[in-house]
Amino acid sequence: MKITGYAISLYEFPLNRRMGDANSPSGRIRGSSNVLELFTDEGLTGVSFGGGGAGPQIKSMVEGMLMGEDPRHVTGLWKRMVDRAFKAGHDGVINDAIAVLDVALWDLKAKANDEPLWKTLGGSNPKVHAYASGLDQPLSDDGIEDWYGMMADDWGFKGGKLKVGLDQDADLRRIGRMKKGLERATDTPLLYIDANEVWNPKMAVRKVREMEEQFDIAWVEEPARRWDFLGLRRISDQIKAPVCAGENLDSLGDFLPYFHNRSADVVQVSHGMTGITCALQLADAAYGFELPITLGGSPGNLNAQLAPSIPNFLTLEAQNATPDDGVMTSDIKIVDGWAVCGDQPGTGVSFDPEALAKQQVVTVTASAGPSPFGRRPGAGLWDNPPTKEEAAAAASGVDGEHYVPAHGSKTQ
Amino acid sequence: MFPPTDRKLNKPLATSSNTEKLQRIKTMKITGYRLENYIQKLDRAIGDSNYPAGDDLMNLSVLWIDTDEGISGIAPAGNGAVASLFHIIEGQDPRGVVGLWKNMVDWVHKGNNEGEVNGAIAAIDIALWDLKAKIADEPLWRTLGAREGRAKAYASDIGYNLSDDELHAFYTRMADVGVDGGKIKVGLNMKDDLRRIGIMNDAFRKVKDRPYLMIDSNEYWSPKQAIRYINQIEEHFDIFWAEEPARRWDYDGLRQVSRGVSAAVASGENLNDIGQMYPLISQQAIDVANVGSGHSGITGARQVSNMCYAYEIPVTLMNCPANFMAPLAASLPNHNMMEVVDPGREGAFDSWDNHIEDGWIVMGNEPGLGIKVNEDKIKAMQAVDHGRAPGSPFPRREGAALWIKDIEPGEVSWK
Repeated sequence: MKITGYAISLYEFPLNRRMGDANSPSGRIRGSSNVLELFTDEGLTGVSFGGGGAGPQIKSMVEGMLMGEDPRHVTGLWKRMVDRAFKAGHDGVINDAIAVLDVALWDLKAKANDEPLWKTLGGSNPKVHAYASGLDQPLSDDGIEDWYGMMADDWGFKGGKLKVGLDQDADLRRIGRMKKGLERATDTPLLYIDANEVWNPKMAVRKVREMEEQFDIAWVEEPARRWDFLGLRRISDQIKAPVCAGENLDSLGDFLPYFHNRSADVVQVSHGMTGITCALQLADAAYGFELPITLGGSPGNLNAQLAPSIPNFLTLEAQNATPDDGVMTSDIKIVDGWAVCGDQPGTGVSFDPEALAKQQVVTVTASAGPSPFGRRPGAGLWDNPPTKEEAAAAASGVDGEHYVPAHGSKTQ
Repeated sequence: MFPPTDRKLNKPLATSSNTEKLQRIKTMKITGYRLENYIQKLDRAIGDSNYPAGDDLMNLSVLWIDTDEGISGIAPAGNGAVASLFHIIEGQDPRGVVGLWKNMVDWVHKGNNEGEVNGAIAAIDIALWDLKAKIADEPLWRTLGAREGRAKAYASDIGYNLSDDELHAFYTRMADVGVDGGKIKVGLNMKDDLRRIGIMNDAFRKVKDRPYLMIDSNEYWSPKQAIRYINQIEEHFDIFWAEEPARRWDYDGLRQVSRGVSAAVASGENLNDIGQMYPLISQQAIDVANVGSGHSGITGARQVSNMCYAYEIPVTLMNCPANFMAPLAASLPNHNMMEVVDPGREGAFDSWDNHIEDGWIVMGNEPGLGIKVNEDKIKAMQAVDHGRAPGSPFPRREGAALWIKDIEPGEVSWK
């Protein structure tokens, strides 16, 4: 089997709820993605999502290296791609390109065997522990309880992850509301919180310890900067909850200081990291350190396909129970709070060509593009709760406006 | 190619014959296993510093795992503990090998994944990987994602009993197929060791001006003995790595040796799984990891290798019958070279699909491990009465890590 060509197709879609975190409390209402198709001479097509900003890098990798190669040789090809990016390092857009290509190659490898990816990877049980993740900073208190209540009622989720960090009293309140929503499915919901690097270590210790007087927190995600392995370790030493970190790291090597200093109690692998190949390497390394792996949000919850072959797998982030963008289709179903991989060959995540044609764009509009919010002013320094304008934008829901505060003002 | 004009929709793999086959095996199940143990007479005696005389008899096993589709996976390994584990995989889809590995390891939790149970898990895992690749009708190196079926090789004597001439012949035979480095058993006598390293060096000089020279003392020294001994050798030779210069678990000692010599310190072959490798890796006690099927099979060996990859530690795969672990080596991003001993352990096989060419183990396209077992040959070996049991595995030699007990006259063929 040989790779014969590729295509990339950008598309946009409205979100089903406002999404944001401590860095973007007004949230966003539109999203965008990219379909990569990798064609072969056998008529099979590898599909993956993401890497929308990495068009030139994808082109260079495919035309300069992958054309004519057998996609079943994916780990060898991964090595060649990573080695090709040697000098500048495999991070940034080149990393996105490698990741999206690697996923498409794995999709092809599984399709060539006419089996779902979880089987190709050697998994024996397609049922994967999952939790609901609202990216819910813009939601109101009622909105929080409603959304997690819906995820518990309709899909059986027994764990949820709340965005926190800007306003301690609001966070204490909102954790309670998330808990109440999830209690529709279980008496003992798993309560995760995520600060998205908006604190410094001591801010994190103060706030989390106060939260822990009221709640049993299942993990605290990114309570300090991604590279601050000593700070993360310090936080872990001073709180009860595990520290979860890693989603903004790019490669296996980036995790070394975490391992070496036991900075993260839960190792988080994001979909944007250097592909499935790298995620499996990282999972093995973490396994050696007796550290659990959690897989971050992914298109159509595709990451569920990896979990059955990861012995130290903890739980999967589900930002939606089903694809919500009108284009994507997924064979990964949420059943009673578990993500269950199906029998469809490959990753099981694909697209509806007609819907793609309708929603396809040549360039992505700003409001649907990469985050315009940046890091929030005051992050790691002082408390900077949502401004009136941000709160109003958040309250306007998906029918409201895309509001990006101007940087440089006193509080924003 | 934007926008795409000729998008091809996903469809099953083209030909009707294999589509039918693929449909059929969708519900494949493990139905049984068979294990045959036998004693193989080797081409030469195998021995190290613990037992320099060595032995030319070796206990070997072949394990078959059978399925309801008539395809069987094999492992050139196995022991009686397979019987206690088989219920975990019975009726399961063999393609779920990584998940089944976890189920086996979890099953043995309390007594832990060690000893005979560890060997059984490894054997089952290997046979399941063989099956997985055979079901996909492809060589295992491809199943594991390797781009090419090849892995760099080095020659290893395990032959303290070999005379100078025999040593030279062995390394020359390897050099003739392009191998550019070798490992030699050392540790008992400095004068003999220097002479023998020189013989190895000379044999490989026709391939490479500065061949890779590795030495292996098989845990015979204390850390400080190792530092003294290796430094003396390094006055004469540039040593690529020194293997097992201290006890397998002594991560402080191994690290001490690494800091005290120029050569890389290699170790790990006698450990059983990634958990046991953890301190060696995290404490930077080893510079090269010896990895093999002894680390809980192909699945476990891959875990260890990936952990080493995070630490920028190169991995060298252990010798094994018919080089059956070479497919894993081909798929690892951090594999440097694989040990080839070639003492003639393949008496039970009609063929195995790899050979050494230009210094690399080159694998073919036979499905699975690429090994064809001949049961008649096994029966024939089982029928032979050797009058004694194989000496391997060898006991630890007197004086180990305390004083050096020199090779005694008559103990080896050349002294």
